[in-house]
Amino acid sequence: MTCTACGADLAFDSHRAKKGPDGKELCPYRGRAYPNLRAAHDLIYFGKWRKMDSTTTDIRRAYHQIGRHLKAIGEVLATKDLPAARRDLAKAVEAFQAGDPSGESPDTLRFMDHALSYAHMTIDDLLHEEGQPPHDPMEFSEWYDAAEVPFKEEW
Amino acid sequence: MITLERYPRGITLRDGARITLRPMVREDVNLLWDFFRRIPPEDKMYFREDITRKEVVERWAEHLEYDSVLPILSLEEGRVVGDATLHRNRNGWKQRVGTVRIQIAPDFRHRGLGTAMLREMRHLGEKAALHYLLAEAIEEQQAAIRAFEKMGFERAAFFRNFVNDQEGRLHNLVVLLYSMGDSGRGTLSFPP
Repeated sequence: MTCTACGADLAFDSHRAKKGPDGKELCPYRGRAYPNLRAAHDLIYFGKWRKMDSTTTDIRRAYHQIGRHLKAIGEVLATKDLPAARRDLAKAVEAFQAGDPSGESPDTLRFMDHALSYAHMTIDDLLHEEGQPPHDPMEFSEWYDAAEVPFKEEW
Repeated sequence: MITLERYPRGITLRDGARITLRPMVREDVNLLWDFFRRIPPEDKMYFREDITRKEVVERWAEHLEYDSVLPILSLEEGRVVGDATLHRNRNGWKQRVGTVRIQIAPDFRHRGLGTAMLREMRHLGEKAALHYLLAEAIEEQQAAIRAFEKMGFERAAFFRNFVNDQEGRLHNLVVLLYSMGDSGRGTLSFPP
C-alpha cells in the first residue's frame, strides 16, 4: 500500500504495522528528519529495477523516480548553505544525466546506481547538519520487498 | 578565516552514542593526551611527533592557531574519542590546499564517527574556500581509505615502499584528494 504520510510504496501486508490511536497504520519514517527524502530514497533503493528479473519499464520508471528524488533534495538544499552537500547532489545529477535509459547505454544501471548513492550521501549530509545519524535503508527493509542485504562497512 | 559559531554541536551515531564536536582549546591538554595514550602502538607511527610525550601535546595547546591547524575534537561524556585536524598554509602556493588528518579511539572505530568527522572536515574546507582537501593513508588502512572515497576523495597518488613504521618496515602510501570546484556553490540544474 502507499503510505499516506510519505507516499512510499510500503509492504504493510508482509509484517505487523504499527498503528496509531485511530487504528490506521503509521508511517515507519514518522518522527525522523527528512522523512520524505528517506522514503523516496528507499522506494528506489529497494525497487524492482535492481533485481535480476527487472524489465525495461521498471528501469525507466526508476530513472524518473531518481530524477524526481534529486529535484526534491535540490529544493531542500536550496534553503541551506551546505556547499559540500550541493557538491554531492551535483555528482548525483551528473550520474543521472549520464544514465538516461533512452540512450541505451550499457552503463545505464551503473550510472543510476551512482546517482542514487550520491543522493543518499546528500541526505546523510543534511542529517549530519541536524546532528542525526546517517540514513540506513536496511532499518526500513522490512517495509519493502527486499531480499538482498548489501555488504556494509563503517569507519 | 573560518567561522566556528556552529560549535559546540552534538551529533548522534547510528548506535545512539551522543558525541559533541568542538575545536580544541588550551585546557584540553589532559583530555587529548589521555586520548593519544589509548591509541594502539601500530597507529602511533602515523604521527609526525611522539604523542606519548605530554609536552608535545602541551606545546600544541599553547600554540593553537586555528587558521593554520584547526583541531576538532569529538567528545563523549567529557572523554576525547576522536581528533580531526584541518591543516592549512595561510600563504604560498598551497594556500588553497588543506590537509586532513583523523584519529579515532579504538572503541569508536567502525561506528561511523570517522565518516562524521570527515563530513565536518569537508564542511570546514568549503567554508575556508579551499580548492582541495588532501589526505594520506597507509595502504593497510583500507577502512579509512574506503571512507574517504565514499566521501568523494579520489586516489591521486600511490607511493610504493614510501614510509616506514617504528620497526623500520616499509609501507605503501596512498594520497587521496577531494576537489572543491564550483559545483558546491553554483546553481544546480535538473532535468524537466
